Amino acid sequence: MSTTHAIVVDKLSRMFGAFRAVDAISFDVARGEVFGFLGANGAGKSTTIRMLCGLLEPSSGRAEVDGVDVGRDPEGVKRRIGYMSQKFSLYERLTVDENIRFSAGLYGLTGARLADRRAFALEMGGLKGKERVLARDLPGGWRQRLALGCALLHEPRIVFLDEPTGGVDPVSRREFWRLIDGLSRQGTTVLVTTHYLDEAERCDRVAIMHAGRLAALGTVAKLKSTFDTRPIVEVRAANPVQAMTALDAMPSVEKTSLFGTTVHAVLRGQETTAEELSRALAEKGVHVEAIDPVLPSLEDVFLDVIDRAEEAGAA
Amino acid sequence: MIGRIRTLVWKEFLELRRTPQLLRLVLVAPVLQLAMLGYAATTDVQHVPIVVVDGDRSPASRQLLETFAASPYFDVVGERMAPSAIDDDLERGRAWLAVLVPPRFGDDLARARVRGTAGPSIQVIADGTDANSSGVALSYVQGLVGQYATVVAGPAARGAPQLDGRVRVWFNPDLESRNFMVPGVLAVLLLVVTANLTSMAIVRERETGTLDQLNVTPITRSEIILGKLLPYSLVGLVDVVLVIAIAVLWFQVPLRGSVALLFLSSLVYLVCTLGLGLLVSTMSSTQQQAMMTATFFFLVPMIYLSGFIFPIENMPTVIQWVTFVIPLRYFLVIVRGIFLKGTGMAVLWPSFVALAVWGVAVVVLAVARSSKRA
Amino acid sequence: MTGLWAVAIKELRQIRRDRRTLTILVFVPTFFLFLYGYALNFDIRHVSLAVQDRDGTPESRALVADFARSAYFDVVAAPESDRQIDALVDRGTARAVLVIPVGFARTLGEGGSPAVQVLIDGDNANTATTVLGYVTALLQSASFGATGERPHAALVSVEPRVWYNPELRSTVFLVPGLIAFISMITAVISTALSIVREKERGTMEQVRMAPVSTTAFVAGKTLPYLVLSQAGALAIIAAAMVFFDLPMRGNWLALFVAITLFLIGALGTGLFISTVADTQDVAFQAAAIVALLPTLILSGFIFPLSSMPVVLQWISALVPARYFLVALRGIVLKGLGLEFLWPSLAAMGIYALAVYALSAVRLARQ
Repeated sequence: MSTTHAIVVDKLSRMFGAFRAVDAISFDVARGEVFGFLGANGAGKSTTIRMLCGLLEPSSGRAEVDGVDVGRDPEGVKRRIGYMSQKFSLYERLTVDENIRFSAGLYGLTGARLADRRAFALEMGGLKGKERVLARDLPGGWRQRLALGCALLHEPRIVFLDEPTGGVDPVSRREFWRLIDGLSRQGTTVLVTTHYLDEAERCDRVAIMHAGRLAALGTVAKLKSTFDTRPIVEVRAANPVQAMTALDAMPSVEKTSLFGTTVHAVLRGQETTAEELSRALAEKGVHVEAIDPVLPSLEDVFLDVIDRAEEAGAA
Repeated sequence: MIGRIRTLVWKEFLELRRTPQLLRLVLVAPVLQLAMLGYAATTDVQHVPIVVVDGDRSPASRQLLETFAASPYFDVVGERMAPSAIDDDLERGRAWLAVLVPPRFGDDLARARVRGTAGPSIQVIADGTDANSSGVALSYVQGLVGQYATVVAGPAARGAPQLDGRVRVWFNPDLESRNFMVPGVLAVLLLVVTANLTSMAIVRERETGTLDQLNVTPITRSEIILGKLLPYSLVGLVDVVLVIAIAVLWFQVPLRGSVALLFLSSLVYLVCTLGLGLLVSTMSSTQQQAMMTATFFFLVPMIYLSGFIFPIENMPTVIQWVTFVIPLRYFLVIVRGIFLKGTGMAVLWPSFVALAVWGVAVVVLAVARSSKRA
Repeated sequence: MTGLWAVAIKELRQIRRDRRTLTILVFVPTFFLFLYGYALNFDIRHVSLAVQDRDGTPESRALVADFARSAYFDVVAAPESDRQIDALVDRGTARAVLVIPVGFARTLGEGGSPAVQVLIDGDNANTATTVLGYVTALLQSASFGATGERPHAALVSVEPRVWYNPELRSTVFLVPGLIAFISMITAVISTALSIVREKERGTMEQVRMAPVSTTAFVAGKTLPYLVLSQAGALAIIAAAMVFFDLPMRGNWLALFVAITLFLIGALGTGLFISTVADTQDVAFQAAAIVALLPTLILSGFIFPLSSMPVVLQWISALVPARYFLVALRGIVLKGLGLEFLWPSLAAMGIYALAVYALSAVRLARQ
């Protein structure tokens, strides 16, 4: 396998009893890339990450992280990576500074390097002046940045972030992504799971997981290109549910989904115009307020991918 | 390796310091407990409440009942007129024993003394619900009545040769059960406090997610176990010093053997109890589960089957085999030996070796169980 | 009420998913009964005895034979020197040593009372006292082989009768103690930990926001454990009746009431601990200190309360297991009715009320 890739995954699977949590997934991640893992809860994102970090043993298949086989040498992997879990696992009874020193001690950082990295973690997390605050007294956003700082102390070349922004306010979330961009610019590979679609937009490439399988993979633009031949229109109607039922009955409409108070309809081709649709709806007694073509969002992509995966699963 | 362990130990102490409730419990509780339980854990049966029914009311019967009243073993809590009146006393638990002297007791006794035949018998009714205490109390009654008979018989009765038994009791001449029980309580307390402490140590980190965080670092399993074992050993040693001080200074239990040996064996014992806690911790997924496992599968069976209270030699053979896997058993032999008998390594080495083997085995097992990967 | 059920059902689900805890709550008590029922007793038999017969005559051998024949002693060694005797006792190989001096038979033949020496290992005072009794009795009744003379008939004899447990079987008195001990620990640990866990995880805050009163929350948390512990306690009694011939002389309803009252108090103790402890490890230590050891040692289960110093007897008044034992022994062994039981039941009731009141005060303050 190539060393230009930070992570190479080949038919990786994990069973829990009879339950197939991860089902023969394959992908690779280039160095310096921000790779997003998208999926509903229970889709297998965390299980995959935990296998790649050497926390869970793969049931079959193989994976290489920084050129090291995860199945054969999990401890070798651990020396090369940083990991931050969705719980922001810190020692509650330790202060900010003590948590940093503890992580540093585990990686054997001492002397000038320790002072340097400690300053980095405090600076990055905006934690200066809070060194003596107990971790349990920190608000969510600070905890999250402290946990990230601890995971980056030893300057790992690959970082795994498992839902790093759960339960954090939007401002902190944006700040956190700025940090991730910074890491990537410095050549660190970041593999991040999330279920926020706006965050996924910021990734170089996105993998969508569904029921343990990789349902789609590619750059955001590539994923959206599936809608090049299937335009989306946004229908604003007084009664969106009624509009949805009417649209579903039309042969030119592939499928519909509810987006807040509007309905997104995926059309089967580019021939159908908004005016035609509007007329057809009016004939069926649906009062349409507006109907506009829209650019596909990642949410459209996500729903589309899940639909197709489920159809494939049912077939 | 040394650096990582030092980091872990440092962190563990910080956490302990930030949990003053726990620290207080671990340091103060054993002292209070030993002070209390040292008094309570006595198998001596004393002040047994009894009621008496004197159906004779002769000088002889009164003299007999006087012996009961004068004995430290019995407290006469009441005298009843009729035998039927004692039912209520025993049912309510007011009295454990009823002593009934039959009518014409004095006359029968005098006749038997002259003729050399068997004399009258007195009836003793015991509440058998506490079988042990009742059994002991009954044997006291036998003894008291026997003494009384000897006094009454006087030198004239020495018709047949008698054996003069010269009994000496070693190690504990006053038969103070406290001298036996206090070292035992010490051993049990150490087990309960230290095993509990570590049984939570790893599950707690599992529950809060910090164990995963540790597991993605290059730290090894044995480093994790050692990093937990070392700080808690120190806490345990402080406990050892405290409880030994209480036993010697407060309870005046004679410490006849080597103090150094006592500390050395306590240290080995601590490895066993702390290692046991860690093993439980690695086997559990929640703290509640760890606590249940520690208490029910380890602490309680160990306390009962170690010979702390119930002598092992009375147990069925199969269960005696089981007791061989209980470290408390060996430590009890060692502490009781050092305290009461002043025995040294020459005698105690088999128990010492057993304890050491057990300690190493349980720590190795804990390391083996504490997989860094699921 | 719906809040109570919601909490109770959630708790039951959690217990059911945790197989090990479930097993512990329901089956381990009965298993313990078997283990301890067979293993534990104070009856002292087969005391290991070393004999040094320096006389070596038919008379002295007859005395040794008397000891060997009795059910109480097993002759395990014949030491030749004092050094060997020391070693035997030090190692615990022999609990008692009988030394018959030279001239034993001669003194006996002259109509005298020869002296024999008996050494007893006194480390376990309880055992030693019993052994002392055996030795004295055997020496008094020794048949002296050939001389054939017997000591005179007893001037006064004791005719003992034991009520409720005529054979003085240990199981009969251990079972109530075991029920008290096991129920106390399960009840305290389960409530204390399950509530502190919610505190630690912050789910307690959620519950407070939900339209569930604190009372309903506490009742809901404890109810499943109450039912499980009741089942465990009744299982112990049923097993003891079947396998250890435990008599059940009293009223089942009274028994059920006593068990329930005791369990409510025990669960309350756990609740109180949970209001004091901030973390689960603290709760565990506190439970061991408040519940485990006092129930074992200060309840009258093993160590008779009457032998303890007065101050400790006062302290033992705070141990609910003490009253439970009186009530349980009263119901099961004595077949007593309410007119006798009410003081113990009332004491358990007061204890329960007190711990719940204390917990309520602490909860309100938080």
